[in-house]
Amino acid sequence: MPKAEDFLPLKTNWFHILLSLAAGEQHGYGIMQEVSERSGGKIRLWPATLYGSIKRLITAGLIEESDERPAPELDDARRRYYRLTRLGKRVLDAETGRLEELVRIVQVKRAMESAR
Amino acid sequence: MRFAMRLYRALARAFPHEFKMIYGADLVQLGEDIVQDIAKEHGVSGLFRLVADLAIRVPIEYLSEMRRDLIYAVRSLAKSRGFAAVGIVSLGLGMGVAAVGVSESLNLILRDTPGARDADKLVMVPSVSYPYVERYRDQHDLFAGAAAFQASVPYNVSLGDRAGTKAERVFGHLVSPEYFSVLGVTPARGRVFSPDADKPGSAPVVFISDRFWREHMNSDPFAVGRTMRVNGQTAAIVGIGPKDFLGVMPVIPADIFVPTTAPASEAPELAGDVIHQREAKSFIALLRLGPGVTLKSAEAGLDTITRHLDEETLDPARHAKGRRVMLLPGGKILPIPRALYPMMFGFMVLLNGLIIAIVCMNLANMQLARATARRREVAIRLSVGASRFRLIRQLLTESVLLAVTGGAAGIVFAFWVASAFHKMKLPFGFPVNFDLTPDWRVMVVVFAIALAAGIGFGLAPALAATKTDLASTLKEGLAGQTLGHRRFGMRNLLMVGQVAGSLALLLIAGFMVLGFQKTNQIEIAFDPSTMYLLSLDPVRDGYSAEKATSLFDHLAEQFQRAPGVRQVALGQFAPFGPQGAVFTLTAPAGGGAPDQVVSGIAKNTVGPNYFAALSAPILDGREFDIRDQRMEVSKDRVLPVVINQTAARAFFGVGEPVGRRILDAAKSYEVIGVVKDLSAPLSQTAPGQGVNAVPVVYLPLTKADFAHPPANGMVVMVRFDRGVDVMEGVRKELAAIDPNLAVFDVHTLAGQVADTLAYLHLSEYSYVGIGAFGLVLAAIGLAGVTAYSVARRRKEIGIRMALGARGGQVLRLVMRESGSLVIAGSVLGLMAAVVLSRLMAAFSSLLGPAFQAGARDPRLLIGAPLLLAALAMLACYVPARRSTQVDPLRALREE
Repeated sequence: MPKAEDFLPLKTNWFHILLSLAAGEQHGYGIMQEVSERSGGKIRLWPATLYGSIKRLITAGLIEESDERPAPELDDARRRYYRLTRLGKRVLDAETGRLEELVRIVQVKRAMESAR
Repeated sequence: MRFAMRLYRALARAFPHEFKMIYGADLVQLGEDIVQDIAKEHGVSGLFRLVADLAIRVPIEYLSEMRRDLIYAVRSLAKSRGFAAVGIVSLGLGMGVAAVGVSESLNLILRDTPGARDADKLVMVPSVSYPYVERYRDQHDLFAGAAAFQASVPYNVSLGDRAGTKAERVFGHLVSPEYFSVLGVTPARGRVFSPDADKPGSAPVVFISDRFWREHMNSDPFAVGRTMRVNGQTAAIVGIGPKDFLGVMPVIPADIFVPTTAPASEAPELAGDVIHQREAKSFIALLRLGPGVTLKSAEAGLDTITRHLDEETLDPARHAKGRRVMLLPGGKILPIPRALYPMMFGFMVLLNGLIIAIVCMNLANMQLARATARRREVAIRLSVGASRFRLIRQLLTESVLLAVTGGAAGIVFAFWVASAFHKMKLPFGFPVNFDLTPDWRVMVVVFAIALAAGIGFGLAPALAATKTDLASTLKEGLAGQTLGHRRFGMRNLLMVGQVAGSLALLLIAGFMVLGFQKTNQIEIAFDPSTMYLLSLDPVRDGYSAEKATSLFDHLAEQFQRAPGVRQVALGQFAPFGPQGAVFTLTAPAGGGAPDQVVSGIAKNTVGPNYFAALSAPILDGREFDIRDQRMEVSKDRVLPVVINQTAARAFFGVGEPVGRRILDAAKSYEVIGVVKDLSAPLSQTAPGQGVNAVPVVYLPLTKADFAHPPANGMVVMVRFDRGVDVMEGVRKELAAIDPNLAVFDVHTLAGQVADTLAYLHLSEYSYVGIGAFGLVLAAIGLAGVTAYSVARRRKEIGIRMALGARGGQVLRLVMRESGSLVIAGSVLGLMAAVVLSRLMAAFSSLLGPAFQAGARDPRLLIGAPLLLAALAMLACYVPARRSTQVDPLRALREE
């Protein structure tokens, strides 16, 4: 079993995809929309890049195809759904932790500068 | 927008199959979902990005698929290491050997002389006299320039200005002042010779090569203008050649260039005023064709002029019919007559084509066997949904990987062979620099063949393996194949071809080796480590002819004083060396009987006591003594000669030779003794002449020879008592005579023999290697075929055994099939070998006797096929034995 730390720092695309799946199963279109909305339209995962990344994330064992379907009224039967694996969750946590740590360092530095 | 969507769909279809299978539909769906928004939000640039994103991802996905294929291929080859190793090594060796062989002849034919301008306009005429070249130069309608030169002339060179510095022997050319301008050489520094600057009587000058400047002068930036001593005379360096320029025929490299305007003291080759002697045909003419002049028209024009000149000169050969002049291409690294090109190249291509064909047949066979063995694996993967295209791609990746690795190994091997050969010292007395560096064109072809073999021999079995009927393959039923086998199936034809090719190769290699061994044994009657050979060239150390003569007159006595020395003798060449058997002499019979004309005779010039020093028994008469060396030679003087046994038999049959006369065109000789034949390896003999029996006429060393020593100097042979290091004493004696005398090429006779044989052994080893290589390949191929046939007939064998057939009977059944292939292949191979060796013998005077000797050897003609058959049967037996272990119950249950 690969360690979560092996994947750090995570590629931006991968991070966004994992983040979009953190709440639950999602299909490709959904991931794309969520990323776009979250970044206020600044980040756009283009279709081929999206599916290329999904394929590699599956190979790496961070996400998997999901058989469970969301509530029937939301279900779109034609699409494949994806969800995080346990490893994927840990990688997402680790990356989030890493980013938080970075932010914390920046904040401490700012505080020291304004104190001077 | 609609156009963007069309493009989008087309690109989505272009993704690799694996990707499309899973994501294709989603990808298209997604595109359709978002295209409206994108267009609204970003306009045309958004649509462009949408399509561009796909266009970029397509190759990325393919690369990642290929990477996976490659990793899979590496793993799968690593799993069958034996298969991979045999494939790579056989391809590598075969391709490497072929590349070196073809490169060598291609280099000789194609490579232009480095440093020369418009090299294809240069032509050479060998063996002409200086005045002839001057007349050639006047033919302005034919030639843009003409120069004369002598090739591989040794110079004793010392760089210190002081007279006392020890000299080193460097080889170069003696050139007329036009040499460089005819060649079109631009000097890197200083100037080249020119007829205006270099006139007879002007101060001695010398031109040096870039290599000499680097290796001997440390790339001294002030080299031009400095002086050095050349053959004892001070000469000024006027120029340095361009990089890589080593004279007009760099196979025989030249580092020092001395103009023909130099005094004879600097260049003893010029003694006797040869520049003005029409008979002295010691020069090579180097001519540059005028604009628009073809080789043919130049040759015709030159022929007419030469005919006139011969008439004027009263040349003894002037009445001879036929062409007087043959032009050689002058701008290549070695002047080889153009007529020989197809032969040289054809021969090489033929032999190496045979090797490549065997390698390819073997590869094809191995791939077929492997594909068959993998039928089940392939069928399983097909049945679980792998696409056929994908499987073929994977199998193909594997064989291409194998081929490319093999091709790369071949190139590495070729460079290794070239560098190994480069280090060899060839027994020629002057440096020879054969260029075996693989030619890039040959490399490309070799690689292309390897790749084509990889694709071709990978694709065919891959197609066949993936076309199988899944159900029957999985059941291992292979129904219908028990009915019989195709007699002329691809595999059987390949197998016969391979056996035939290997046997032909083995036999040809065997002919070579046996022939070389028979013709090139060196028999010495004493321990060759008790003789030193050393070379002296006093004339090139600045001695006058008289002084040199007196030195050699007393040298033997002087050396005898050194402790441990037993015998001292002089010769123009080292003993037991190659003999150029090119002369024709006549023994007048008298009494009305026809004269005995013998051609293919070698001449050798030796001093007193020569044969005694070599422990060669004088069978009749006597050998030369000091009186012969000191006699005055004039034109009509009858020279005493010693002849060897073979010559005595050729001239006089059973008659008494001593006291008889022999004549050549200009001189008359009297036989004073007959000596036992001495070994003469690597000799060029006339066609039809017996092997290892060159007729030799030994002439006495005289004053004239001391004044014009050959390129290798004068060889002094010092035989000494075992266990005494005699060289120190000899050097001391020499220093007592003249401390500045350069001694060079000091080695024992044993070392000399080893050098000569090393060259032979190298060729022997390579031929043995090639032969063994073919044999091993054939064995592997046969084993593969038999294993395949056993696997295929498993069920049939099972039924037979269930019905009561014994193991031995089944074994015989399987072996009979392979045996008939072996026999058919052997017969074809034997015939091919005989035909090929006849062809090769007809082409080469050096190989001719070797083939004659080897091809008659019954050991080979019977032994080689037997060896091959034995090995082949063994190769069949091992897998065939498996057939007897077939468990009939299991074989039938698999139905």
